[in-house]
Amino acid sequence: MRVKKAGNNIERDFKLVFQELKENPYRKFNLAFSLMSVIPLLVFLYILAAKLFTFHILVGNIGLIILICILISVCGFCLGYSIIKNALNRVIFYAIKAKRSDELKSTFVASVSHELKNPLSVIKTNLFNLMEGLLGKIEDEQKKAIQLLYGVVERMGRLINELLDLHKIEAGLIGLTRKLCNLPQILEGQVKELEGVLNKKQVKLAKEILSKDLFVWADEDRLQQVVNNLLSNAIKYTPEGGSVTLRAYFIEGFVRLEFIDSAESIPQDKIEKIFDKFQRLDAAKEGTGLGLAITRDIVESHKGKIWVEPLIGKGNKFIVVLPCDLRSSKR
Amino acid sequence: MENKVAKKILIIDDQQELISGLATFLKAQGYVILSANDGLYGISQAHKENVDLIILDLSLPAGGGFYVLDNLKKSVTTNNIPVIILTASQEKALEEKAYQMGALAYMRKPFEPKELIAKVKELLGDQ
Repeated sequence: MRVKKAGNNIERDFKLVFQELKENPYRKFNLAFSLMSVIPLLVFLYILAAKLFTFHILVGNIGLIILICILISVCGFCLGYSIIKNALNRVIFYAIKAKRSDELKSTFVASVSHELKNPLSVIKTNLFNLMEGLLGKIEDEQKKAIQLLYGVVERMGRLINELLDLHKIEAGLIGLTRKLCNLPQILEGQVKELEGVLNKKQVKLAKEILSKDLFVWADEDRLQQVVNNLLSNAIKYTPEGGSVTLRAYFIEGFVRLEFIDSAESIPQDKIEKIFDKFQRLDAAKEGTGLGLAITRDIVESHKGKIWVEPLIGKGNKFIVVLPCDLRSSKR
Repeated sequence: MENKVAKKILIIDDQQELISGLATFLKAQGYVILSANDGLYGISQAHKENVDLIILDLSLPAGGGFYVLDNLKKSVTTNNIPVIILTASQEKALEEKAYQMGALAYMRKPFEPKELIAKVKELLGDQ
């Protein structure tokens, strides 16, 4: 069943490529194989018939017909060979083009990284020196302005990282290093990391791990990123003193993760767009508007699904469903 | 009164502006700062100057950061100097490689100056 599904996907992908190329190379392949195999087969059948019915094969009209058939089959073979060679050349050409395009994308990422982050480091370092009074005494008003700039630089740094991340995921430049990940451990780690923000906002966190041995076959760093993004989002949009629930359990061969906040429910017209790039519910809240887009891409690259359900009254439930590890589902 | 000799930190980075910024806050912590703008000069400084710690960029002219790190770790004179990698690259693989080659810390640009100061102090036992 799974194989058939994979086959269907490949067929669908090929159809898309053919549409883009405005031709179907299979047509040429079929023609080439007809020319190369069907005609010699006819000759063979003719010779077989001649042997069986004992008529002289290389004499008179029959001999002429055989010679013409042999000539046609040789021409067919040559033509077929040239068509297949051309088709293969085109395949190789597109493969090289795709490889070059991937290389260009990698170079682009590396260049952006270097060219943007280095000057940003210089700005940040010097702002820090100014702020700390290491380059001379500054007044309170000046310090406030520098602190503001420092915050902007920090946000730019985050934005560059997230843009690069998103670009890498979308361009398929990130190789997932999958291993058996212990989900409760990952959740615990991320909760600890966000403890400071939780305490600062006095948000109560309820952790509900409802199944034992929750394992996922995933890239651990990326899975941590998903949990971190969704949990920090839930905390960010929950008002002070509110509550956030983190729930994880098995369901029919999948691991289901729920992040329930007590923020304002997301309006229906924004539900569809919430995972798009640069979509922010509240512009006043700090963020780049890329976190959810990255999260969705990571989840989908693990063959999972993510969606949000606004709760009646108040709150939202972000749901992530990931295929669980086969070894753990047998337990 | 104890007469403490200031510890020497060598910064190997191709960006002079960044070196100046780093030098300002590290000098304020009482360290002596040496610098090199390329890999080969960085290696020679590390051998000559008896430095206590090295802050190393990975993208460098005249020998990249890994070449420098490899050279430092293979030399008896410099293999015990703690190295902090400071890079703009996000590649996880580079981080793993740096640790495998003997770096003791790995920080990504744009870094938090306070975190770098804390790491320097930790590696030099100045906390």
